Amino acid sequence: MGEIKPIYLEEKLKEIEESGRLDYRSKTLPTWCPGCGYFSIVEAVAASLCELGIPNENAVMVSGIGCSSRFPFFVNTYGMHTLHGRALPVATGVKTANDALTVVAVGGDGDGFAIGGGHVPHAARRNVDMTYLLFDNGIYGLTKGQTSPLSAVGFRTPTSPYDNPDRPLNALLMLLSHGASWVGQAYAGRPDHLHRMITQAMAHRGFSYLHILSPCVTFDKTHRTYQNLGMQVRDLPADHDPTDRLAAMREAMNDATPALGLYYREERPTLGDALDGLVEKAGGELPGKPAAKPARKAAKR
Amino acid sequence: MATDIQISIVGSAGDGTIAAGEILRGALAGMGYKVISFDVYPPEIRGFGKCIARMRITTEQAYSLKHKSDVLVSLDDSHAIPHADEVRECGAVIYERGSIVQLPEGGHMSAHIGPGQLPYPVPIRELSEKSTGANRSRNIVVLGFLAGLLKLPAEAFQKAIAKKFKRKAAAAEAGEAAFRAGQDFAAQTFKLDDVLFGPPVSTVVAGATVEMISGNAAIVRGALDAGIDTFFGYPITPATSIMERLATEMPKRGGRLLQTEDEIAAISAVVGAGFAGARAATSTSGPGLSLMAEMLGMGVIGEVPSVVFVSQRGGPSTGMPTKTEQSDLHMAVYGGHGDAPRIVIAPTNVDGCYRCGGKAFEMAEAYQTPVIVLIDLYLSNRYETVVFPSRPPFEADTNRKPGKLAAGAQYKRFALTADHISPRAIPGEKGNMHVVTGLEHNELGRPNDSAEMHEAMSRKRHEKLKAALRHPDFTHFKRFGDEGPVDVGVISWGSTFGECLEAMIKARGEGIRCAAMKVVMLSPFPTHGVTAFMTDCKQVLVPELNYQGQFANLLQANVARPVTRLNRVSGEPMKVEDILDEIRRLAGRKAAQKAA
Repeated sequence: MGEIKPIYLEEKLKEIEESGRLDYRSKTLPTWCPGCGYFSIVEAVAASLCELGIPNENAVMVSGIGCSSRFPFFVNTYGMHTLHGRALPVATGVKTANDALTVVAVGGDGDGFAIGGGHVPHAARRNVDMTYLLFDNGIYGLTKGQTSPLSAVGFRTPTSPYDNPDRPLNALLMLLSHGASWVGQAYAGRPDHLHRMITQAMAHRGFSYLHILSPCVTFDKTHRTYQNLGMQVRDLPADHDPTDRLAAMREAMNDATPALGLYYREERPTLGDALDGLVEKAGGELPGKPAAKPARKAAKR
Repeated sequence: MATDIQISIVGSAGDGTIAAGEILRGALAGMGYKVISFDVYPPEIRGFGKCIARMRITTEQAYSLKHKSDVLVSLDDSHAIPHADEVRECGAVIYERGSIVQLPEGGHMSAHIGPGQLPYPVPIRELSEKSTGANRSRNIVVLGFLAGLLKLPAEAFQKAIAKKFKRKAAAAEAGEAAFRAGQDFAAQTFKLDDVLFGPPVSTVVAGATVEMISGNAAIVRGALDAGIDTFFGYPITPATSIMERLATEMPKRGGRLLQTEDEIAAISAVVGAGFAGARAATSTSGPGLSLMAEMLGMGVIGEVPSVVFVSQRGGPSTGMPTKTEQSDLHMAVYGGHGDAPRIVIAPTNVDGCYRCGGKAFEMAEAYQTPVIVLIDLYLSNRYETVVFPSRPPFEADTNRKPGKLAAGAQYKRFALTADHISPRAIPGEKGNMHVVTGLEHNELGRPNDSAEMHEAMSRKRHEKLKAALRHPDFTHFKRFGDEGPVDVGVISWGSTFGECLEAMIKARGEGIRCAAMKVVMLSPFPTHGVTAFMTDCKQVLVPELNYQGQFANLLQANVARPVTRLNRVSGEPMKVEDILDEIRRLAGRKAAQKAA
């Protein structure tokens, strides 16, 4: 850590305004509790969209249900706030209908790994060209603090008043084995790193999964606090090779001290590539070529 | 001479029963006859389940199968014997002459030929072995015999056999030989004078094409002609062949099809693709529709165009996957939580499957809503000769697009308008960014659960569908039979309507003043048209294939008039005779006045 410089409010506001990233924030203010880690995520996503120069109208945020799933309302893009657990298949539909869109699915740990768990392997193995931002606070916040599949053993909540008997899922290990082509981890308490990771994830061509650790400041005073997380997280080793899947899995297994950074990355054909391949095999016309089907009419607009 | 002949082929799974039926009806349709055909097969792929290929061949299009067959072919006596009495007097029963295995007493068809029926024992196995060196071509031998016996030209069969074995040269060759062997044998046997084919009658206008096609294939053709862009589905009997055909055809036209991990993912992706501007659809049966209920509600509140093809089977739960039933009407019309109005259309024949298959996309876009096309196994697997128009009768784009926004104005995705339909922007369009949410929302699409907003939006979602009752070039309901006041009116829906029509025509033949109405649009319900019809009827009969009388319930929720319900849950199409008996009873005639 270098020397700590003072921050002046006017300077900071000017800098943010000039960056253009406010254009990606909507007029609807986030409904999260003061101190929630998710504020830094919405800020980072806006900054990443701005940095990558993605036109507002070409971005689609798709979410399920939960605190984090309110996300699409807080950015100035197209969005779909769907059903509990269904962000991934809806996002797959959006992307399949129009390859030109930048599709980002967002959601919480309960949304993604409890009710929506059945969809995760398939979005990953198909390599749908989209980004999945998983906001992991290890708790059901919107229903006021029940146990999630990523809650720690022994975590006490209103639905597990005598301790949570279940061990948590290892989400990173799952995604690595399901075949996600980009897997990374970030922490809401390190916004600059988080922003860099989101930019990378969005720039990746294929299914990118970013696991974002965040505290629930309202309902979890014992486990996932800023204080605890701040002490637990570490950086991935400097010599970690993100093309080595086994090494990535070994790092993911060390979940007592979660490592931040890019675990794994590979380039391989996306679902869109595969479907275009089928059109070619069947002797059909691909979009963009003469006599293209209205299939991609949205893309042409 | 008008032709009206019904042929049934009964065998065991593996005998090639269904394949023989396919070739036979293909040949007859190729000759210019109208065909209606429905096969019955067991849920198991292998084993010894009963298979029936049944078809009715006519000069004018028939509406259902007949109660009695003119010819029965047995490829397996153990299955065919219970069907011996479905052959009419002076009809033919064709069966294996010799018996290879020791059969128990009464196990041979010869013991079951009724008085007046004509027995045709044929050495089917022997002919197959002699002509091809194997007994696998027994089904083709039988076709040759039928062609000879019924004096049908061999060329039509040879063409159908060649088409069936397109990719298997050896099988095609064996088929030829077996066919000839059967045909030659027929020349030596005694004549069948009572089952005669008249010349086919061509009624096709220039430019149109005639094809013999199944209900599922017709749905696919409708979807393709309406320009389907994306399809997401999960295999389930009896809807699977919709997805399979689309998987072959869509990529040829640049379309995209994906087999999803379950039905929830399928409908979710359809709603996602619909939001992104594609014409998207999925297909399923009852169990899948149950899983889709929640996301259909999302389509309703989010006002997202989405199309679901549902082919019903026996329920509840896994029920009877290879038997037909019309018991998902409640689910289709009312399924899911909350006030979730949607469009449900139910074609009554194969031609209707084509039209509904395409119109569904027009309606989904025009009224921004999920549209369910509700058929059943009987219609999915039923073959009919259909006349296709030279140009698809579907509009390529029925979206209401937003105009240019005034400076400083914000696009309102859910604007409250006079006809309750809001202009719809699609991702990729500059300046019209918005969020579609499953939460109750205001005109902008922002969460809002105020009393005023929920009232206004609920009204919008219900009222906008009323325009669908005037959707252009679509038959919402139709009356047949006697005009003006009648003694008995039959109202029905879906696949059962064909039997109702046949029964109504027969009843009129008996001097009963009778009419029938089909209702194609089930939701929103065409109350005015149906009420007008019911006012004309002294008695109203509602036949359908479910226990509860689901359509009768829907009818009575919209028109407060007593009706007589006729319900069957046999897993098979309703019998014309049963409907006719009920019409007679309601008309004050003796019910037991059975036709000779």
